[in-house]
Amino acid sequence: MSFPKKTGGKALSALQNLPRITLANLRPEPGAKKPKTLRGRGQHGGNRSGRGHKGERQRGTRPRLGFEGGQTPFYLAIPKYGYNEGHSRRPQYQPLSLKRLQYLIDLGRVDPTQPIDLTQLVNARGVTVQPLKRDYGVQLVEEGADIFAAKINIEVQRASEGVIAAIEKNGGVITTTFYDPISLGIVIKPVPFFLRGQPIPKRMLPGEHMVPYYRDAENRGYLADPEKIQQARLALAQKYGYILPDISKDELYHMLSMRKDVRQIFFGLSPGWVVSMPEKKILKPTDEKLLKYYSSYV
Amino acid sequence: MAASMLCRRTAMLCRTLKGLSCSKTVLFADSESGLLLQTASYNPKPLKLNIREPYIPDKDSEKTPEWQKTGRYDKKLFGRYGSASGIDPASLWPSHEKLDKLIAEEHEWHPPLEVMLKNIEAKEKVESEKRLAKEKLIAANMAKMPKMIADWRREKRDTKSKLKEEKTRRAKLLAEARQRFGYAVDPRSPKFLEMVAELETEEKKKKKLMKRRLKEEQAAAPITPPASL
Repeated sequence: MSFPKKTGGKALSALQNLPRITLANLRPEPGAKKPKTLRGRGQHGGNRSGRGHKGERQRGTRPRLGFEGGQTPFYLAIPKYGYNEGHSRRPQYQPLSLKRLQYLIDLGRVDPTQPIDLTQLVNARGVTVQPLKRDYGVQLVEEGADIFAAKINIEVQRASEGVIAAIEKNGGVITTTFYDPISLGIVIKPVPFFLRGQPIPKRMLPGEHMVPYYRDAENRGYLADPEKIQQARLALAQKYGYILPDISKDELYHMLSMRKDVRQIFFGLSPGWVVSMPEKKILKPTDEKLLKYYSSYV
Repeated sequence: MAASMLCRRTAMLCRTLKGLSCSKTVLFADSESGLLLQTASYNPKPLKLNIREPYIPDKDSEKTPEWQKTGRYDKKLFGRYGSASGIDPASLWPSHEKLDKLIAEEHEWHPPLEVMLKNIEAKEKVESEKRLAKEKLIAANMAKMPKMIADWRREKRDTKSKLKEEKTRRAKLLAEARQRFGYAVDPRSPKFLEMVAELETEEKKKKKLMKRRLKEEQAAAPITPPASL
């Protein structure tokens, strides 16, 4: 009997000898793509092409949802139910599951050795945030909490209790923070903003209805008292039955303890600074009044 | 980008097959199997800026569009070309008048955290007071509940017993009328009504007599007890 000397040798040699893989010689697997059915071709081409006979059905001009042919529609006739009250003005938070976050980390699209904020998540194409569509950031959702194994310092806008537990169990840190729509637009697309040549603005505080959420230590809000947050971490560990790893003895302690200031948008950049991309320079104001304005917490 | 990622992956595969250690270790690498996870990294799009030939509009020319003569566009030029744009960096920040406006706006529309907390507290206080008042009212009414239920039950029982009594009296009267006249009398007939009136007067007289007798007995009784003493 003869055994092959090296398993996978053939494949490896093929890989080494084949031309370099480029976009030019990549194509989908045979059978991976199904050709689209062309309507109005062949034997019955002059007929109705499977769309029925005349009218809105054939022409694809159906009226909008809830329209009852001109009769006062139900949602206006009985406008009593407030379920959808203000739905067009409600803040939206794009969901990001722990499973996907783990995937992004495993692929190296997100670097867990640095604090993760919205900029990192958007750059990694983990989420798409559209401030003009009332997005106020991202929410971490619990899917994949059982397989989540990364130690991270993450900053999101909303997080559920299970998510907080899953992150803290691994020795990580989570903070929920608020970005007003203007700061949000800047934080998700820093380079276009820097090319505008404007000073970085102050991050605004949340509105009165959102303050209680970000003041709450159980939500790990950025306005909460740090001592209370520590207590809440211990309480959560007890509730979920895990031992809270001591962060202060961690080798990544410096990274894990990094937080943004209440008024800060980017790590390491203060409000009032101008970043010049072509010259790779930071311009800081020197005027007293400007400095006072940009450092004030009012 | 996809191509560069693929190149990186093949390079990494070769390295791992040769048994070379990779410089970029991942935190969660599986040490037992010796397999390194593939680490792609974020490759930002190259910033394409034409700094050598900057486009700086001539402000005096009539051909230049109006929007290219604004301060906002000047800032943009500085952001794009840096100092080559010839814009004074001091103009990037708001002037003093503009700053005053900004500060006034912030004072008007963005109250500090303390004020917001105070407002929230006040609102909560009002709400809790309202809730407590309502709870108090409910508790008071609930305390009255057992008595009200007992009253209602008694009333119901009383009406029921009264009805029953009335029914038996009527049956009795009918039976008596039948005895007196020898046949079943219509309860609406004047004969029957007469008889009922007669019986009633008789009863009244009887009652009166009983009352008088009781009074007499009572008047007589107080004299006797001291005698027995």
